[in-house]
Amino acid sequence: MRPHRKKRLAIIAFIALSMSAAAGLTMFALSQNINMFYSPTQIANGEVANDLHFRIGGMVKAGSVEKSQDSLKVNFVTTDFVNDVPIQYEGILPDLFREGQGVVAEGALSAQGIFVATKVLAKHDENYMSPEVKAAMEAAGASPQNHSGLSEQ
Amino acid sequence: MLDVIQFSSFSEFLHMGGYAFNVWSVYGLFAVFIMANLFLPLRKKQQILKEQKRRLLFSEAADDAQAPAGDK
Amino acid sequence: MWLWFAKLGSPKWFYELSSKWLPWLVGAMAILLSVGVIWGLLFLPPDYQQGYSSRILIVHVAVAGTSLAFFPLMAVAGTITLVWRMKLADMVAKNAAPLGAWFSFITLATGSIWGSVSWGTWWEWTDSRLVSMLFQFFLLLGVISLRSALEDSDKAAKACALLSIVGCINVVIIKYSVEWWNTLHQPSSPVSLSPDSPNGPEFWIATGIMILAVYLFLAVSLILATRNEILVRERQAQWVQDLVRQE
Repeated sequence: MRPHRKKRLAIIAFIALSMSAAAGLTMFALSQNINMFYSPTQIANGEVANDLHFRIGGMVKAGSVEKSQDSLKVNFVTTDFVNDVPIQYEGILPDLFREGQGVVAEGALSAQGIFVATKVLAKHDENYMSPEVKAAMEAAGASPQNHSGLSEQ
Repeated sequence: MLDVIQFSSFSEFLHMGGYAFNVWSVYGLFAVFIMANLFLPLRKKQQILKEQKRRLLFSEAADDAQAPAGDK
Repeated sequence: MWLWFAKLGSPKWFYELSSKWLPWLVGAMAILLSVGVIWGLLFLPPDYQQGYSSRILIVHVAVAGTSLAFFPLMAVAGTITLVWRMKLADMVAKNAAPLGAWFSFITLATGSIWGSVSWGTWWEWTDSRLVSMLFQFFLLLGVISLRSALEDSDKAAKACALLSIVGCINVVIIKYSVEWWNTLHQPSSPVSLSPDSPNGPEFWIATGIMILAVYLFLAVSLILATRNEILVRERQAQWVQDLVRQE
């Protein structure tokens, strides 16, 4: 390579490297704020400042969903398999809201430690299964939760 | 894998298990996306060739008109 | 090797070579696209949670994954433009930007249509995957407007090249956003041959075919647009004028 080309290439490499470093540092500084939600354990550890409004994410604990007969009120427990947070919500639940599946709720903690949600979103994991495969896996004793990204966090 | 078509009737196929709007709008959008980005460049090529041919003929005609004058 | 490199930079050589390759690329693309779409619409089994809305994902994943190729591609072309001043590289970079914007837009739209039923929301501003993909869309619009804003085409090429190189950082952020932070968006699915893997071959083979098809489509569309660019920019060249006369 001719010297002037080498120089140009070096300048480009320098710009690219310094921009990446700047972006990396910004990301590192912002890393908590970029998280969309907190896990029940993060809440138990007091990582959430006395925020009025925040999001919580976890699994819907199996057998915890109680739907009201005459209204859209629903109570359930969200868990990361270490800590639990009870959630109260009134409204329409998304299609993928199921027990044992991921969920993200937006709202605030009440004085009683109940999370009163104004919005509930379902979180799908990265696994796609046909009903036959799912049945076969359950018969073999494996559950989709064991593979889920959420349970590892 | 390829052993079964998932539907037993055409209306069931259109219905997509209740997700007709979502599934069909995504595949429709995908078709528009593919077609647009193949046919627009092809159409543009025809326009470019037409335009350049017109210019080329025009400048050649101009050259022809000038050439005899220049010879004299 | 350097001779080959110099040859590749010649628009005429590229135009002639791509004339030979295009029929094959178009053929392969047409076959794979048909197989992918027919498989996706007729044969793909429903997901045990999502039902048939999971069929959206083979299109979404293929377009989204391919959209990440644009900034690296434009950065490589841009580096070649800046260092070696190769004409062809800038022609490719210029036409990649609008196509990349299309890819990003389709990614956002198809994802939104899936999310509206699965998550219960069309859009979440707090999800870093969603927002970084939107940022890519705007960055590409930025590259397009930067080029049209600068009148000196040589300066425009250099500025766009630099922006493309810097824009690659965002690709890394898009890719790893789902691992670094808590997001509503699911992480990418593992591909595994083991029989107890949750993602069976019926899902990832269909997705794989679609990804290949979409990459071929990217190549075909970009080559077509680059050939147009060559015809315009090289219109004074004898070989282009001969070609125009033949038409």
